[in-house]
Amino acid sequence: MRGSRFFAVLVSASVIAAGCGSSTATPGATGTSPGASAPVNTGLIGGKLVIDNESGSTWTCQFNPYNPSVSITSVGFIYEPLEFVDALETNADGSNVVTPWLASGSTWSADFKTLTFTIRSAVKWSDGQPFSAADVVYTFDALKADPALDLNALWSADGGPLTSVAQQGTDQVVFTFSGPAQTYFFYVADQTPIVPQHIWSTQDQTKLDSYADTDPVGTGSYLMSNCTENNIKYLRNPNYWQSTPGHPVPQVAELDYPAFLSNTPANLELAEGQAQWGAQYIPNIDSFYIAKDPAHRHYWFPATLNVALFPNMSNPLLGNVAVRQAISLAINRADVSQRGESGYEPAANQTGIVLPTYSAWYDRSIDTTAFDVAKADQILEAAGFTKGSDGIYANAGGQKLSFTIKTISGYTDWDSSLSVIRQELQTAGIAVTIQDEDTSVYVPDLQGGNFQLAYGEETGGPLPYYELRQMLLSSNIGSTNYSRYSSSSTDALFNQYASASAADQLTIIHQIEQVMVGQVPVIPVTEGVDWYQYDTTDFGGWPTPQDPYAQPPVWATPDNGVVLTHLFPTH
Amino acid sequence: MRYVARRLGLFVLTLWAALTVNFLIPRLMPGNEATAVLSRMKGVNPAALHALQVEFGINTDQNILVTYLQYLGNCLTGQFGLTAARVPVMTDIMEKLPWTLGLVGVTTVIAFAIGTMIGIVSAWRRGGRLDSILPPFLFIVSTLPVFFVALVLLYVFAVTLGWLPLASNYDLGATPSLSLSFVGDVIGHALLPGATLVIVTAGSWIYTMRNNMVTTLAEDYVRMARAKGLPSWQIMIDYAARNAILPNLTGFAMQLGYVLGGSILVEYTFSYPGLGYLFYTGTTDHDLPLQSALFLVYTLAILICVLIADFASALLDPRTRDS
Amino acid sequence: MTIPAATTESGTLSAVPAGRGSAASRRFAQAVLRNRKATAGLVILAAISFIAAFPGLFTNVDPHAAIFDQQAGPSAQHLLGTTQVGEDVYSQLIWGTRLTLIITVIVSLVATMISILIGVTAAYVGGMADRSLSLLTDVFLVLPTLPLLIVLTAYLPSGSLTITAVMIATSWAFAARQLRAQGLSLRTRDFLEAAKVRGERRSYIIIVEILPNMISLLVASFLGLAVFVVGFAAGLQFLGLSNSTELTWGTMLYYSQQNGALESGNVWWMLAPGIAVAVLGTGFALLNYAFDEIGNPALRPVRRRRAKPTA
Repeated sequence: MRGSRFFAVLVSASVIAAGCGSSTATPGATGTSPGASAPVNTGLIGGKLVIDNESGSTWTCQFNPYNPSVSITSVGFIYEPLEFVDALETNADGSNVVTPWLASGSTWSADFKTLTFTIRSAVKWSDGQPFSAADVVYTFDALKADPALDLNALWSADGGPLTSVAQQGTDQVVFTFSGPAQTYFFYVADQTPIVPQHIWSTQDQTKLDSYADTDPVGTGSYLMSNCTENNIKYLRNPNYWQSTPGHPVPQVAELDYPAFLSNTPANLELAEGQAQWGAQYIPNIDSFYIAKDPAHRHYWFPATLNVALFPNMSNPLLGNVAVRQAISLAINRADVSQRGESGYEPAANQTGIVLPTYSAWYDRSIDTTAFDVAKADQILEAAGFTKGSDGIYANAGGQKLSFTIKTISGYTDWDSSLSVIRQELQTAGIAVTIQDEDTSVYVPDLQGGNFQLAYGEETGGPLPYYELRQMLLSSNIGSTNYSRYSSSSTDALFNQYASASAADQLTIIHQIEQVMVGQVPVIPVTEGVDWYQYDTTDFGGWPTPQDPYAQPPVWATPDNGVVLTHLFPTH
Repeated sequence: MRYVARRLGLFVLTLWAALTVNFLIPRLMPGNEATAVLSRMKGVNPAALHALQVEFGINTDQNILVTYLQYLGNCLTGQFGLTAARVPVMTDIMEKLPWTLGLVGVTTVIAFAIGTMIGIVSAWRRGGRLDSILPPFLFIVSTLPVFFVALVLLYVFAVTLGWLPLASNYDLGATPSLSLSFVGDVIGHALLPGATLVIVTAGSWIYTMRNNMVTTLAEDYVRMARAKGLPSWQIMIDYAARNAILPNLTGFAMQLGYVLGGSILVEYTFSYPGLGYLFYTGTTDHDLPLQSALFLVYTLAILICVLIADFASALLDPRTRDS
Repeated sequence: MTIPAATTESGTLSAVPAGRGSAASRRFAQAVLRNRKATAGLVILAAISFIAAFPGLFTNVDPHAAIFDQQAGPSAQHLLGTTQVGEDVYSQLIWGTRLTLIITVIVSLVATMISILIGVTAAYVGGMADRSLSLLTDVFLVLPTLPLLIVLTAYLPSGSLTITAVMIATSWAFAARQLRAQGLSLRTRDFLEAAKVRGERRSYIIIVEILPNMISLLVASFLGLAVFVVGFAAGLQFLGLSNSTELTWGTMLYYSQQNGALESGNVWWMLAPGIAVAVLGTGFALLNYAFDEIGNPALRPVRRRRAKPTA
C-alpha cells in the first residue's frame, strides 16, 4: 500500500526492545566475496539508470544517513552497513540469509551477550582515507553522544541492550550487551550505516542529527556527483572495495534520481520508458505499464507485512473470542485483495505468517483461514447473539455488533479495502463505519486503546518473530500491541525464542501461530507489499521472485546498495 | 499624515493578530504538536524524541506564555528553526519564493490587464456582441473551481496532447542557469499553471470592471463630457475608467487572498514546487515550523498589498482620505 | 476562484424600493423572473436540489456497492464508468449531491447570518463596539483564506463538520464589511429617525426597519458566498483534508486523483464530479449576476438592438 514506504523507512527506525534472537546464519568469518547469490558480472561498465520513486518533495541536497527524511538518498548509495540481512530470503532453518559487507564476519559468544565483528581491510572512504575498525567504534559512540541519532534505541541509555563498543586488536570490534541480544543483530549489523570518523568528529557531537552532510563521504558503490532540487546525480565509485580485476563493481556508470512530487508524473515517466527502476503504486499496471513493452517490463510486489484489523480486546463485545472469530470468517480476503488493492496485495492468513516470503515458518496444518459466513453465523449464535430485524447481531443485553474502524487518512487503498470489508461484514450481520484519522491522531489513539477496531500495520522486521512480537507481547501494550492482548504463556514463548535453537524457534513460532488462529487477537486481511517495477531493456541483475537477493525498492535501505552492486548494463 | 499613521497602525495590529492566530491553532488541541512529531518519527526512542522536540521548539516543559513571546521574537528576526527535513525554514522558503512570486505575480498582472481592458471596452459597447457574450462567459469560467480548470488543462494539454510538461518547474534533468534554453524550459513549465490562474481570475476582473464602468458611465459628468463633444477614447479613459478603477484597487488587495489560495491548488495539481506546494506538504507532514512561517508569509503579503492599495487609492481619490 | 464584488465599496445597492409591502415584493419577483440569467440559475439550483432530495429517483444502485468491474469506462450499465473498487460513478454522483449541497447552503447561510449580526450591529450601535467589531472584521478579512482553511482542517478532526465550521469562520468577514457600509448609509435616513422618535427598541429598529432594506445586499452576499464555498469546499476535499469516507463530489475527485483516473484513461470518474461542482457554482453565480442587475438598474441588460453611445 501507498504507505509501505513510510513504514519501511521506519523499519530502519523502529523500537523493538531486545528479546530473543535467531541464530545468525554466518557465525564466524566466511570468505571475502559477497554471499548467497553471487551477482553476474559481465565486466561491462556503462549506462545511465533513471530511478523512479515519488518522494513528495524536492531534494534538500543533504545526505545525513541518520536523517530519516533524506536517508533514502544516501544509505545504500554512499553509506554501508556491517552486514546485510536479506528479509526476503531465508535459509532452510528459517533464518535470514546474511551477507558480510563492511565486516567480513561476526561471532556471538555462547550466551549471546557479546558480538565480535571482524572488519574488512582494504576498504577506502570515497575521499581516499582508509576505512578501519576505528570508524565503526566511532559511529556507534556517536549514537551514544547524540540520542537523536540512535533511531533504533540500541544504547542502554536509550532503552536498548548495548552497553559498550570497543576495538579489539587492529581489525575487530566487540559489542557488549546487557542480555541475550540475538534479535538485535539486524539493527546493529544491517541498520546502522558506518560514517567516517575523520569527517564527522569535526562536527558538534551532540548535534550530529542536524549535520547537513552536503558533500557525503562514504564507502559505498556510488559518489554523489551533483544535486539540484529536482535531481540527484550519482557516479560510480571507481575505487569501490568489491571490485576485483576484470570484475568491476558497480557496473552501471551513472544514476539519476529525479524528485517526483506526485504519482502522476512519476508513473508516466515509467510508462514512457524514461525510467527503469520504479517503486511506484501504479493503478492498472498491466495496461498502463507492462503492455507498452511486455518483453522487458516487469513488476514484482514482494510481501513483507500483514495489513490487519486490530480488535481492541478491552472492548466488552470484541473481548469475546466468538465475535473476533466471526469477523475473521466473514471477510473474503481474496475479494478485498482484488478490489481494495487491485490484486496487488495477496490475501493474508490468520496465522500471521506472510507468504510466500516466510513459508519456512508456516505450518499449513494450523491454518484455518476461511471465508465462511455460515460458520460465522453458527459461532455467533452459539455465543448467544441473535440477528435483529435490521440484520445486525445483538447479544442478550441488546448490545449490537456495531463498530467503528479507524484508519489513516490518505491511505486510499486502505479506504478502498475497508469499503469492501464493510460490505462483507454488513452481509454477515456486523455493522461497521469507517473513520479516517490523521496520523497524529491515529497513532496516539491506537497506542492509547482509544478505538474499537483499527486497520493498520506493524513495522515488522526481517522475520515473522518481529512482527508477531510487536503484536502480541504484553509489554508492548501502549506501543505496538494495539489489540491489548495479554497472556503470560505467549509472553513466555517470545522470551524463550532468544536462547532457543533454530529447530526450537520454529516450534515456538508454530505455537504462536496456534494462538493467532485460536484466540484471533489480530485479524490479518492482506499482505503489505513493496512496489517495484523494473525494465530489462538496458540493465540486468534485478532482484526477482526467483532470486530475491534483496528487497527491491530503491527506498529500502541498505538493500538498495546491494541491488546496485548486482546491476549491469546489457550492452 | 494621520491617515498614514492610522493605516500603519492597523497594519501592525492585524499582523499581530494573525501571528497570534497562527501560534494558537496548532496548540489548540493539547498534546497535538508532540504527537505530531511522535507520529512522524514513530518508533524513535524517547530520549531522541525529547531532543527532537526541543529542537523543533515544541518544548512541553516551558510555560506557554514564554513560548509565545519566544515565537513572536523569532518571527520578527526570521528565525523559524528547521523543517522536518532539517533544512532551515528561511532557506527553504527563500528557495521556493521566486517560483511562486513569479507565477502569481505575472499571472495577476496579466489577468488584471486583460480583465480591466476587456471590462472597459465591453462596458463602453454595452449591448454589443462583445458585451453580451464575453462577460457572462468569462464570469462563468471564473466561477469554475481552480483545481478543476487545472485538471482539465493538465489532462488536455499535458496528458493527452503532450504539448506541455506535466509537472515541476523545470525539466528534472536540467541544471539551473541563465541560458536561453533553461529560461525557455521554465516558461514552458509555467504555461499551464499560469494559464489556469489567468483564466480563473480574469473573469472576475472583467466583471467588476465592466459593472463599475457601466455605473460610472451613467453618471452626470460623463454625460456632460459627451455633450461637450469630447472624443470617445478620451471620455472612456480619462473620465470613466479612471473613476471606475478605484474600487477595483481595494478589491485587488482582497483578491490577492483568493489568488494565493488558488495558487496552492494550482501548484498542487501541477506539482509545481513553489510556496503553495511547500505549504501543502508542510501541512500533511505536520511540519509546524514550516507551516507557521508560510502562513506568516501569506498574511504579510496580503497585508502589504492592502496597505499599498489603500495608500494608492488615498493618493488617487481624495474622498477616501477623509473617511 | 473569486467573489466578484457585488457592489462598489460605497454599498449603494437599494433599487428595491425602501419600505415594506406586498407590492414591492411582487415587483421584485417579477424582476427576477423576467431576467434570463436569474431563470437559468434558478433552474440549475432547483434541479440540483431535487436530485439531492430524491436521489433514489435517479438511480437504484447503491453508491457504496463495490461489486462491479473495476475502473471500467462508461457503458450502458454504468453511464459514467466505475471506480477503482468497482462502484458505479453515476450513482456516486447522484448520492453525493446531498452532502455537497448541504455543506454549501449551511456555510453560506450561517456565514451570512453572522455577517449580518456583526455588520449591522457595528453600523447601528456605533462607537467602541463598532470600532472593535470593525477591527475584528478587518483581521479576518486579511487572513489568507485557503491557507487558514488548510491549517485548521489539518489540526481538527477531519470531516464535513470541521470543513463547515472552518469555512463559516473564514468567510463571514467580507459580507460583514459591506453590510456595515450599507448600514451606515441607512442609519441617517428619515424613516429610522421616525422609528426612534416613536420610541421603538433598538432591536426592533434593526430587525423590522433596517434589515428589509438590505435584503438585496443580503441575498447577493449569500449567493456570492455560495459560489466561493462550492469551489473551496470541493478544493479542500480534493486535497484530502476532509473525511474521505464521506461521499461528496469533492471526495470523488480526491479518489479519482489518487487512483490515477486521468492517466488511466478513466476520465469520467474525474470529469463528472468536477463538472458537477462547476455547474453548481455557475447556478449560484448566474443568480448572483442577475441580482446585481436587478438591484442596480444601470446594469440591467440593454435590450436595444445597438447601444452605440457615440458616433
